[in-house]
Amino acid sequence: MAHEKDFKEKLIAAVKKEVKQVMEESVTRKFVHEESGSVTSLCGAVEACLSQGLRRRALGLFKTSSTTALLHKIAKHSPEAARISKRVQELENVDNGNRRSSSSSDSLTKPQLKKHASLSSVIAPLPKYLWIRLALFEKQLAKIIDYLVSNANRYYEKDALVADPDYGTILSSLLVGPCALDYTRMRSLDNFCTDPPADELVQRHRISSAGVGGGSTPPSNRRHPMQPNFRRSLNASSEDTLSSSCCSRSSAHQLGIARDYVESLHQNSRATLLFGKNNVTVMPSNASSNVQEPMPGYLSLHQTAHGLTIKWTPNQLMNGFVDETQDKSVYWDYALHVRLDEIVYVHCHQESDTGGTVILVGQDGVQRPPIHFPKGGHMLAFLSCIETGLLPRGRLDPPLWSQRSSGGGAVGKNNNKRRRPLPALAPDTTDTNTETTRDYVFRIIDNSDHTDMPKRTELMDTRAHLGGSLKTRVQLASTSTSSDSSCKSFSIEQQHSASATADEVCSGGVGTPPVACIRAVCDSMKRQIISRAFYGWLAYCRHLSTVRTHLSGLVNANIVLSDERDEQGITEERWSEVCVDGVVSDYAEVYRLTYFGGIAHSLRKEIWPYLLGHYKFGTTQQQRNELAEETKQAYENTMSEWLAVEAIVRQRDKENQAQAHAKLSTGSAASTSVNDNTTPPPPPHSQQEHHLSNEVFEDELLSDDEHESMDEEEEACLTEAQPVKKTRRNTIKYESGDDENEDENEATVAGVTPIGKYDHDDDGEEAQRSPDNREFCCSNIEHEPVNNGESICDYDNDLVNDTVEQNQEQIFPPDDTCYTEEMKDFIHNVIVTNASVDMSNLGGDESRNVGRASGGGNLDAVTEENNSSLDTCIETHGLASPARSACASPASSNGGVYTQELLETFGLNLHRIEKDVQRCDRNYWYFTEKENLDKLRNVMCTYVWEHLDIGYMQGMCDLVAPLLVIFNEESVTYACFCHLMERMVENFPNGQQMDCHFANMRSLIQILDAEMYELMHQHGDYTHFYFCYRWFLLDFKRELVYADVNATWEVIWAAQQVASQHFVLFIALALLETYRDIILSNGMDFTDIIKFFNEMAERHDSKSVLRLARELVLQLQLLIENK
Amino acid sequence: MAKTYDYLFKLLLIGDSGVGKTCVLFRFSEDAFNTTFISTIGIDFKIRTIDLDGKKIKLQIWDTAGQERFRTITTAYYRGAMGIMLVYDITNEKSFENIKNWIRNIEENASADVEKMLLGNKCELEDKRQVSKERGEQLAIEYGIKFIETSAKNSIRVEDAFFTLARDIKAKMEKKLEASNPPKGGHQLRPSEPQKKTTSWLSRCTIL
Repeated sequence: MAHEKDFKEKLIAAVKKEVKQVMEESVTRKFVHEESGSVTSLCGAVEACLSQGLRRRALGLFKTSSTTALLHKIAKHSPEAARISKRVQELENVDNGNRRSSSSSDSLTKPQLKKHASLSSVIAPLPKYLWIRLALFEKQLAKIIDYLVSNANRYYEKDALVADPDYGTILSSLLVGPCALDYTRMRSLDNFCTDPPADELVQRHRISSAGVGGGSTPPSNRRHPMQPNFRRSLNASSEDTLSSSCCSRSSAHQLGIARDYVESLHQNSRATLLFGKNNVTVMPSNASSNVQEPMPGYLSLHQTAHGLTIKWTPNQLMNGFVDETQDKSVYWDYALHVRLDEIVYVHCHQESDTGGTVILVGQDGVQRPPIHFPKGGHMLAFLSCIETGLLPRGRLDPPLWSQRSSGGGAVGKNNNKRRRPLPALAPDTTDTNTETTRDYVFRIIDNSDHTDMPKRTELMDTRAHLGGSLKTRVQLASTSTSSDSSCKSFSIEQQHSASATADEVCSGGVGTPPVACIRAVCDSMKRQIISRAFYGWLAYCRHLSTVRTHLSGLVNANIVLSDERDEQGITEERWSEVCVDGVVSDYAEVYRLTYFGGIAHSLRKEIWPYLLGHYKFGTTQQQRNELAEETKQAYENTMSEWLAVEAIVRQRDKENQAQAHAKLSTGSAASTSVNDNTTPPPPPHSQQEHHLSNEVFEDELLSDDEHESMDEEEEACLTEAQPVKKTRRNTIKYESGDDENEDENEATVAGVTPIGKYDHDDDGEEAQRSPDNREFCCSNIEHEPVNNGESICDYDNDLVNDTVEQNQEQIFPPDDTCYTEEMKDFIHNVIVTNASVDMSNLGGDESRNVGRASGGGNLDAVTEENNSSLDTCIETHGLASPARSACASPASSNGGVYTQELLETFGLNLHRIEKDVQRCDRNYWYFTEKENLDKLRNVMCTYVWEHLDIGYMQGMCDLVAPLLVIFNEESVTYACFCHLMERMVENFPNGQQMDCHFANMRSLIQILDAEMYELMHQHGDYTHFYFCYRWFLLDFKRELVYADVNATWEVIWAAQQVASQHFVLFIALALLETYRDIILSNGMDFTDIIKFFNEMAERHDSKSVLRLARELVLQLQLLIENK
Repeated sequence: MAKTYDYLFKLLLIGDSGVGKTCVLFRFSEDAFNTTFISTIGIDFKIRTIDLDGKKIKLQIWDTAGQERFRTITTAYYRGAMGIMLVYDITNEKSFENIKNWIRNIEENASADVEKMLLGNKCELEDKRQVSKERGEQLAIEYGIKFIETSAKNSIRVEDAFFTLARDIKAKMEKKLEASNPPKGGHQLRPSEPQKKTTSWLSRCTIL
């Protein structure tokens, strides 16, 4: 029998466990999926219970281990069962494939583990759960089981679990909860398997944390600013108790998160669940008028390292998914959270018609709301749990159990109210006889405290001294209070008699040996606590010094505080106060206001140049106008320079395109005959040399590929071009592309002077087939104005002189417009000439040019090879000497003479810029206009032209765009962008800043959010904070919408002066902290976070993020300052 | 987050900037197309779970920045990748030529047995074509990888491409498992069924 009982116990325990699992899942995840593993396990456990002791034979259920047949059987009598039975049959009649997927889909999701489980435990094979599943989803399971229980004798053996008076009811009542849940079905296969998108995560978080902050994601700045370090350095266990203890009854709903709270009601690592009972009714003391009668809820008793805690949670909170989120917040006020430490007396009222009532009376004499237990000896169970929980430190007085046998009779006679001391309480309602009301009062006694009063206080002192907020029980009077004493007046004065009563207690209940024992324990504990605290303190100090040395550089030392007015930022009025007669002298004020409140949009155009350092503070309007003029001039000059190069690049592109088309048309034939001279296949190698578009691997190409293959032949090429080329083609498989170009070179160079000859059109295909490739070249040139050699040189010379002149002066003198016009014309012409000249250097000549980049210019090479009129021109004008390598500043352009390398570099930058400009914020109204895109492109190209060594990198467009939108003028945008880039360029791949950012982020998280740091540390990959990469690279430009980008940027700029050089770090941290609860509760790893933030882009609340960032700065500043 | 798949494959999309990596990915993961795409900065990934021979396979597809400068970041993701899509733009000769650089890149950074595949994207732009299908095929043969011309815009063979790659990875993986396990012969003493189960379960553990 005992064995059987055990078995039943096990079965019920399994169901309990699974029910708990499902309920938990529903609370934590907002919904339970129909195919969730916990649902399957629950069904399995239920099945096991139902199959136990089933009268198969009598019911004719042979062979089958399933209870499905049972369902069909009872369908005749129970309408609920009939409904489910019908549905099961329907499903079973559907074709095989469907049925399998619906009933055994969990075998897919939890493949092998499940099978192992089924071998070891009593869980039946999977498909058999179908009806239980359905019944659960249809919310009928509890009713069906109820029916089974009440008619157990018909279907079950006498000793079956279902037939058992206790277990049967327990089983059916257990399932009420899960039956109340809503189960979701996946919308599609994909949907089910895909990770929840950021939206859903945020949504879930809102729901689960409802009641905390009215539905918004709470900025998780929950701790005291100084607390994190402390918590980090001290031991983790004390941290836990601290956090759980500060969740006192009144503040639980404010501080804790609902979900955490509900989770904390279950057994967990911090607290042992000693007792749990649902449908315990309580009339909340602080209930508003709309609660008229006691509410049912879940009563639980927890044992933490700290002591016993009684919690009672209204049912409405337990089934969080049922109600609207708004309604729940009220119930948080009703929830009880009582630390037994605070309780002195436990009053019990037993009435025959109810299960009993327990009233807890605190040491302050205040009564806690009465707890009404349902029938069935639950009160007694609760009390006995308290008693065992109190051991060994404390006990109930009088003892609940010890004197039961002797006191049994006494109880019967004691009908008086609150008569005490009572010898004992009647153990069970079933045992007791008839009587009416029995009330008892138990006092909770803390043994250790009584026996060693001085020691205790000492311990207390140490703890208090060390800053722990451990609230230990206040010494309680142990004089026997009269039963009539109205607990209200019971108060501190009684403490005085504490020492006096100590002896009394000792002599009474507890003997001396335990006292000595406890004293020894206390001693060792004391030592441990002190040493721990000391080491904690030591670690904390070390830690702080590390913080100071490593992180003090991140924030400014002096703390600038804001006042109310600053929240407005710089408004029109404020600006007019600061900007007197167009002169802004109080720059500190401008920075401060911007930092705390931002700038009114209409003023951004005016103030941003200050913040970026383009305008100096204290300058007059006049000076600024001059600066603007100069800027504009310089910008236009630079632009004219690169425009010239651009034209060449375009020209070459056109050729290449034609060539590619030509190749494509002959491509199919080419692929078959590799070494054929006339129709060679497209050679990847040679193409690289000529094509400028989309050059991704630029360095490799220039260095490895070409030099290696060509250097050796350079000499030969120079001396006798044509034959050598042929050889090379044959040996290195340099096919048509190469060949063509070389031929072309000749043609072009030759064609420069007598250009008029080739005036007929031609397309690439023809050119390729033609033995004389001149035609092809001609086709490229003909679109341009035709010049003769003489004029080219003239223009060249003029331009060179002009530019040289200009370059000698730092600031370009303002030219009259005529002049500029003229110059542009020149440039235009020069472009043409250069196009043809440079074309001559394409292909075969290229290697030579590259090789001798330092020695002579392109034209040198050209002149050596071809004795064209150009030669003399250049020589006479002395052009050959100032040759320049691409590395030399392109700004000192000497008018139309460009090295191959320069052209290459700028060309590929140009193509990249164009590609990115085309897809830069096209959804934003400003960039829907072509005109504005051109502006963006111009600014970008100008920057790259001036900084060719940096080159264009993806992301630069994103940085220009907001500036351009604000200024809507190219030259100011350019100037400001240059200033902006001084800081930003270090973030780009060639700089070191990004790694620094990551390292700093790591330290900051470690300091300011230890919990998050732990999580990140767990997933090792976190050391590389790549999810922040885009944030830092673009100053959060892609994370926020335009209006927010503006606001964020100006704060970042101002912060450099006001709070921190690295304000971006704090914004990043603020972003992370904003979603910390989501990140933590979902245990997100590196990839999850990347995905989350990529999906959350442009949906952050920038205002609150910035506010939090400022708070974080302040937090760190205080931390560092606090010596 | 519950694991609701049998296999997780990490895929990587690489190729020159502007060839349409993001578009291909967007087409595959959301079945949508957007002409106003922005350039990818850093990295991003999308997830789609597909069903292959009754197995749920979660594809975690990483999208990378195309520009060579950002290679330091993208190569960090090469290592974990089980499959790599090399994407070029058929209207852009250069992007095609760079494929071999990308392959070199893979060889340097990715694991040796990573599955590769060549995608010629934008195949709807036939009139602007610069790279013939034959050349793509030839290059693929040269490297011993599969080749598909796709169009993210017109949704041509994008699904096909990813399914093919996933299938290849799956086949390769299963083959590897088989090789590392003793083949279940007829004259084995122990019943082969449970043993097979155990091994596949274990191996799955390592994959997940």
